[in-house]
Amino acid sequence: MSPILTALQNVFGDPQVVVIVFLSAFFGVFVGSIPGLTATMAVALLVPITYWLDPISALAAVVSMVACAIFAGDIPTTLLRIPGTPASAAYANDAHNLTRQGKSDLVLSTALVCSVVGGILGAIVLMLLGHQLAKVATAFSAVEYFWLYLLGLSCAVVVSSGPKLNGLLALTIGLLISTVGLSAVHSKARFTFGVAELYGGINFIPAMIGLFGISEVLNSMLDRRRETRDEARETKEGASHVHRPSSVARPSLLGLGTGMLLRRKGHVLRSASIGSLIGMLPGAGADIAAWVSFAVSKRFSKKPQLYGQESIEGIADATTANNAALAGAWIPALILGIPGDSVTAIVIGVLLMKNITPGPDIFTKQADLVYSIYMIFILANIILIPVGFVAIKAASRLVRIPKAILLPAILLFCIVGSYSLNASYIDVTVMLTMGVLGFVLERRKVPLAPIVLALILGPMVEERFIQIITGSDGSFSGFVNPARPLALALATVFALVWVSAIIIGIRGKSSSHKATKTLI
Amino acid sequence: MGRPKQGEMQKSNIKYQNSGIAVSRDDFLNFAFYILILALPILFSGCDRKDSFPNRPITFICPWGAGGGTDRISRQLAFLLEQELGVPVNVVNATGGGGVTGHSRGARARPDGYTITMVTVELNMLHWRGLTSISHEDFKSVMMVNQDAAAVFVRTDSQWKTLGELEQAIRERPGKLKASGTAFGGIWHVALAGWLTTIGLQASDVTWIAMSGAAPSLQELMADGLDIVSCSLPEAQVLLKADKIRCLGVMADRRLPGYPEISTFKELGVDWQVSTHRGIALPVGVLESRSLVIENAVARAAGSEEYLQYMGSTGAGAAAMPSEEYARFLEKTDKAFGDVFAGPSFKGFQHKYGPMLFPAVLSGLLGVCLLACFVCGSLRSAPDRQKISRTAMLDMFILIGCVVLYILSAETLGFVLSSAVILLVLFSRMRVKSKIAIPATVLLASLVYQLFAIGLRVPLPRGFLGW
Repeated sequence: MSPILTALQNVFGDPQVVVIVFLSAFFGVFVGSIPGLTATMAVALLVPITYWLDPISALAAVVSMVACAIFAGDIPTTLLRIPGTPASAAYANDAHNLTRQGKSDLVLSTALVCSVVGGILGAIVLMLLGHQLAKVATAFSAVEYFWLYLLGLSCAVVVSSGPKLNGLLALTIGLLISTVGLSAVHSKARFTFGVAELYGGINFIPAMIGLFGISEVLNSMLDRRRETRDEARETKEGASHVHRPSSVARPSLLGLGTGMLLRRKGHVLRSASIGSLIGMLPGAGADIAAWVSFAVSKRFSKKPQLYGQESIEGIADATTANNAALAGAWIPALILGIPGDSVTAIVIGVLLMKNITPGPDIFTKQADLVYSIYMIFILANIILIPVGFVAIKAASRLVRIPKAILLPAILLFCIVGSYSLNASYIDVTVMLTMGVLGFVLERRKVPLAPIVLALILGPMVEERFIQIITGSDGSFSGFVNPARPLALALATVFALVWVSAIIIGIRGKSSSHKATKTLI
Repeated sequence: MGRPKQGEMQKSNIKYQNSGIAVSRDDFLNFAFYILILALPILFSGCDRKDSFPNRPITFICPWGAGGGTDRISRQLAFLLEQELGVPVNVVNATGGGGVTGHSRGARARPDGYTITMVTVELNMLHWRGLTSISHEDFKSVMMVNQDAAAVFVRTDSQWKTLGELEQAIRERPGKLKASGTAFGGIWHVALAGWLTTIGLQASDVTWIAMSGAAPSLQELMADGLDIVSCSLPEAQVLLKADKIRCLGVMADRRLPGYPEISTFKELGVDWQVSTHRGIALPVGVLESRSLVIENAVARAAGSEEYLQYMGSTGAGAAAMPSEEYARFLEKTDKAFGDVFAGPSFKGFQHKYGPMLFPAVLSGLLGVCLLACFVCGSLRSAPDRQKISRTAMLDMFILIGCVVLYILSAETLGFVLSSAVILLVLFSRMRVKSKIAIPATVLLASLVYQLFAIGLRVPLPRGFLGW
């Protein structure tokens, strides 16, 4: 236990570390709540500064910023329906619909409390089991990834609202859009029409901002017209009603979230374990974890029909999982030196710069450092509570700004957010096009969230697909190889998900027919 | 004059007027006042311009993603250059297209010395493969800052202990062993293919599985999905030190300082060398006086104790090859790659599972999906959605038009002016009173600029005014 004690002392006992965690938490919440700015970009900005810090402080800065940024992504998702991170696209609709009902406090408070608990649980799980779990990560080859990605994509369809067929359609559209650009495997240009800027493909961040943000701005413009007409009618009639939620006996912000947490203790544990497991696989990460957890949550829920519409339970489970997944990504980075995402890639650089070599013996040789990282995770999550509440309070004022001022401002932020990523006007064009596409699709009841996940996972699925088929020289045995039991298990789960979805679909159809008949 | 009005302004809510913006004398005075405020920074911004170079932030283009090897070196150098030049040096990751995007943007940037690029070995490769017309001739080389040789790795528990044994295995079972390290035709693929042709085999005698980089390839090697990985030593450093993988040789002409125990291909009797290189370059046409300033600063930064220490700790090879030598080097390697890509290993190579396979599968799926949707009628628009009225339609077109306007004008007008224009248009369309719309515009445009461009160092379009 002594390395854990040393770690405790290193982190909680050092005022410098606590101050750094606090400052980075603010910075992280700030960056995370601006759509288009990614945690990766913020970490990259920090790197030259970390050169001057000792290893623990340097890691404290990175860890707490990332941990706080991912929660902050929920703020614009909830209030403006612009997902701050891809993980929050899974429940963007739920969160925003609840905001429309005046429940934004409940959503954000739940997201905050669940993020914190998920983050802390994830850190504890990995502190205790990390070394053993790393072995699982080494067992993942192209085939396992292929089935995991397909499973993640299926989850996006399963959790989407409306007819599942439309969800599948959205997924296919997203996958097709993801093939634009230079194919990762062959380095051949596809669907670029000679525009060199399109070689990079359709970046999912501007696409996400467009699909959700711009289409929501368009929707609001439509609603505003309706409102002003209604308002005019009302003033003519001389009765002006002001809709404002009554402030009678409202529970405190913290109370809302903890209340939700206490009601869902078991579910939170389940989501945290899903998060840590998936987060640990290099290249899978928090995005898939949120989706899978959302789908599992729906499967075991008493009110599955609310998922994708206005399910607070789903939000609680998905936010728990994506924060638990964050700590997981550090396991392959520390033990194998294989970065799971760009943030951990930067971290490996920071570690090497400090003469700390990641490797399998890091748990024995540098045990106090490893435990310190997880202690920082815990500390950062604790500090996230006050910082997060300040952010929620501040951001909630946004909703009170009149729409006539807010909408143009949102548009400006959408533009800046998509441009700043790559300093490219193509990204702004992509955002606009996706916005119009999202607006049209939504009017046809096609869910948007699967498109986002398809854009992220599409290139990876294709890469794995071609890798397997090249390796097995075209034979199907490459995909279901008895020598790889893990892949077989994942493939079976994938098949089960679809079989059950089809059965539920057919049953739902016949029951809805009955319902209409009884109505008539 | 505006003082007593401010309290009133805060109290007054926005009211929608049915008759558009009514322009009274008061409004006009207000308008003039805010225009004046808007104009003030324009007047002052010209004042502190010195003629010295550089006097505003420098953009440092990195053609690869944040977190990768090139990005890390770029950021370290940018940090050191900042101290040398006394102005901010902002790294921009212009990623995509296997390096095409970043290199093209760097070469086509305004040759005023305010845009520098970290060019990588792909500059010598992409144009031979017909992916871009940009080559080393579009750049003025400043200095090479890093060079890493390729090496061949296998798992420690594999049966091949030497390069000769691996060669034997490939000869016995041509096409059966799987290798990776990067995408098809990438630098590490060229390295492996070159080795095979040098020893009298064909490139296709080892099946190349295209992966997106060294890290996923090493992961695949660990998971028993590959037999051989070809990449640089720093990329494999961690697994090598952990004794999980074995290095069979490095494709350099002499042993590397950080890895004295690893023998070179030359020692093993194979005359084949490949390395990646990274260096700083300017677009062609930068004034001699300015490029000299950059050159001196880069030379000092790349020769500094911090830089050498940083490179040493990550195992990367620090190189400081001055401008002219670097130019000759680029010329030479460019010719060498030309020969490789004209050779039988790459010229006319047909992928068995080509780039259109996956999109074809998807199109089939999309067709089935659409058909099913029409049969089930699930695409009929939701009944609660009202029809879009003509005014609402106009609203949407104006909004879309505003974004298009921004895309077209931002590069010449600069961020602040073009965003102010679209904000004003939208505010007036939304019937916001001008005494609220104008200060809101000024505040938003300048605040966002301060926040992003100055606070967070995120690139925003600079127009003729520099903002």
